[in-house]
Amino acid sequence: MSDVKGSRTLMTPHLALIAAAVAVAAVPLLTPDRYVLKVLVYVGVNVIVIAGLALLFGHAGQISMGHAAFVGIGAYTSAYLVKTLGAPWLVGAIAATMLAAAGGLVLALPALRLRGHYLAMATLGFNEIMYVVFREARAVTGGNDGLGGIPYPEVAGLRIDTPVGVYLLVWGVALLTLLLVTNILRSRPGRAMRALHATENGALACGIDTVGLKIRTFALSAALAGLAGALYAHGVGFISPTTFGLDQSVIYVAIVVVGGAGSLAGPVLAAVALTLLPYADALVPGLTKETIAVMQDWEADIYGLAMIAVVIFAPAGIGGLLRRASARRAGEVRG
Amino acid sequence: MSLLSVRGLTRRFGGLTAVDAVSFDVHEGSIKAVIGPNGAGKSTLFNLITGFDRADEGSVMFDGASLVGRRPDSIVRAGLARTFQNTELFEDLTALDNVRIAADLGHPGGFLRSAIRFRLAPGERDGAARAMHLLRLAGIDGFADTPARDLPHGTRRLLEIARALATAPRLMLLDEPAAGLNGAETRTLIDALYRIRDEGVTLVVVEHDMGLVMEVAEEIVVLDRGAKIAEGPPLLIQKDRAVIEAYLGEECGDDGC
Repeated sequence: MSDVKGSRTLMTPHLALIAAAVAVAAVPLLTPDRYVLKVLVYVGVNVIVIAGLALLFGHAGQISMGHAAFVGIGAYTSAYLVKTLGAPWLVGAIAATMLAAAGGLVLALPALRLRGHYLAMATLGFNEIMYVVFREARAVTGGNDGLGGIPYPEVAGLRIDTPVGVYLLVWGVALLTLLLVTNILRSRPGRAMRALHATENGALACGIDTVGLKIRTFALSAALAGLAGALYAHGVGFISPTTFGLDQSVIYVAIVVVGGAGSLAGPVLAAVALTLLPYADALVPGLTKETIAVMQDWEADIYGLAMIAVVIFAPAGIGGLLRRASARRAGEVRG
Repeated sequence: MSLLSVRGLTRRFGGLTAVDAVSFDVHEGSIKAVIGPNGAGKSTLFNLITGFDRADEGSVMFDGASLVGRRPDSIVRAGLARTFQNTELFEDLTALDNVRIAADLGHPGGFLRSAIRFRLAPGERDGAARAMHLLRLAGIDGFADTPARDLPHGTRRLLEIARALATAPRLMLLDEPAAGLNGAETRTLIDALYRIRDEGVTLVVVEHDMGLVMEVAEEIVVLDRGAKIAEGPPLLIQKDRAVIEAYLGEECGDDGC
C-alpha cells in the first residue's frame, strides 16, 4: 500500500515534467518567430528563479525580498568574467551561481534571527544595497548605462547564437532545475522545510538542524537565481540595474503567493502566466499594439490585483486549486 | 548508572528565579514524574534540559555527556526527545507525515543526494513503514491519513508522543501529556506510556493529573517556586509535609487561620 503510494508521489511530477519537456521541444517547430522565442527565454529565466524561491519561501517559509539582487549578482558576474576578462561562458555561469550562493549564505545570517516582516525588511535592504552597487560599481557593471554586447553562451566550443539555441539552452536548464527541485521537495530536505515552515519548535523536536537547513536553502535558492541571471545576461546580451531592482523582487514574491505556498507546479505556472502577460501579443494573435501598451502600463496593477484575488478567494493559490482538482479526480476514480 | 543527571540547574528571569539549583537523576528504564503547583518551574526545567532555553548555572549530563550549550536539535539527535505543553504539530500534514518527518532522522538524505535520483531511495519507503508502526504503538494508527489540525485533542497529544518516539530516543520528556484528556483518553495514554517504557525508552513526565502520576511514576520530583522540595516514590510523596503545604497552602500558625 505505502509502496504504491510512495512510487506514485514521485511519478506524478516526473510525468508532468516529461509533458513540459515535450511542449518545450515542440515550440521551435511550431514557430520560428524571434520575438516569441525571446519572450519565452525570459519566461524560462523566471521559471528558474521561481523554482528557487518556491523552495525558500513557498516551502521553508523564509521570505526573500531580495531575489532580484541574486539574479543581478549572477548576471553581472558572468557578464564581467566572459565579456571583460574573456573567460569561457561555462566558467562565467558557474562563478555566477557560486557567487550568488555566497550572497545567499550572507543573507541567511539575519534569517537565523529574524522572522516574518523583519526578515522581509532585512532582505529588502539587501536588494537596495546591491542595487546601489550595480549602479555605482561602474568599472564592472557599466553603471546606469548598463552593460551591452555580452557574448552569446558557448558550450564545448559550440556557440549558441541563434534564438532557437538560446531558447533550448534556457529551457533545458529550467527543466533540469525543476527535476532537481522536485526531487529535493519529495525527500527528506523537502519534508524538513515544510516542518520548519509549520513550527520551528516542532522541527527542532524532530531533530531537524534548522540552522543548517535555513543556510542551505537560502544558498541553493540564491544559486538558482544567480544561474538564471547568467542565462539572462548572455541570452539577452544587455543588462542594466533596473532589471534587478526591488520591484522585480516584489514581483517574484507575488508570483510565489499567486502560485501557492507548499507547491512547485503552482508557482511555475504563475511564473509562466504572469511573465507572459505584458508580452501577450507574442502568443495571442490579433492583440492590438494599444491593448499591449495598456497591459504593460498596468502590469504592476494586474499583479497586485491577482495577488489580492488569490489571498481572498484561493489562499492556497494555483497549487491549492491543482491539489483540489486532483483530489476530486481521485475521488471519482474510487467512487 | 543514571541516564540523565541534573545538577544545580538554575534559571533566572530578572528578579525571579524560575528554576533554583535543581538536582535529580533519572535511571535507565524507569518512569519519573515532575510535579508542582502552577508556576513551579516545571516547563522551564524541561526547556533547560532540552536546549530550548539556556541555564544560568548547573549541569545536565545525558549518558555521560554534557548537554549544556547544545542546540535542541542536536540534543534530540543525541537520544533525548520531548513533547510540548501546547502541542507543536505540523498542522497541515497528515498524522503519518508528522511522524515520518521525525523518522527521517534515521536515514541519510542531504540536498545533493536527494536532488540526483530517479527512484525513491529505500530509506524513503522504510520511513513510511516505521512511522505507521509508531502510530500503532501510540494506538492512533486509525488516524494515519488525517491532517493534524483535524484530530481530536487526545489524539493530538498521542501523535506528538509518536513523533518524539520516531527520533529513536533513549529518554523522552513529556510535558503534561494528559492535559485536557478525558478519562478514556487518559487510560489510552497510560497504556501507551507502559508500552513505550517496555520498548526500552526511559520517561520523564511533567503532569498535573495525580491519578496518572501516582499510577505510572516509580519516582516523583516535587518542585515549588523553582526549587526541589521533595523526591521519592509516590507513597512517600503523598505523605510529605512540605508537598502537602505547597499544594494546599501554609498550615495555620499560632495566631489562628
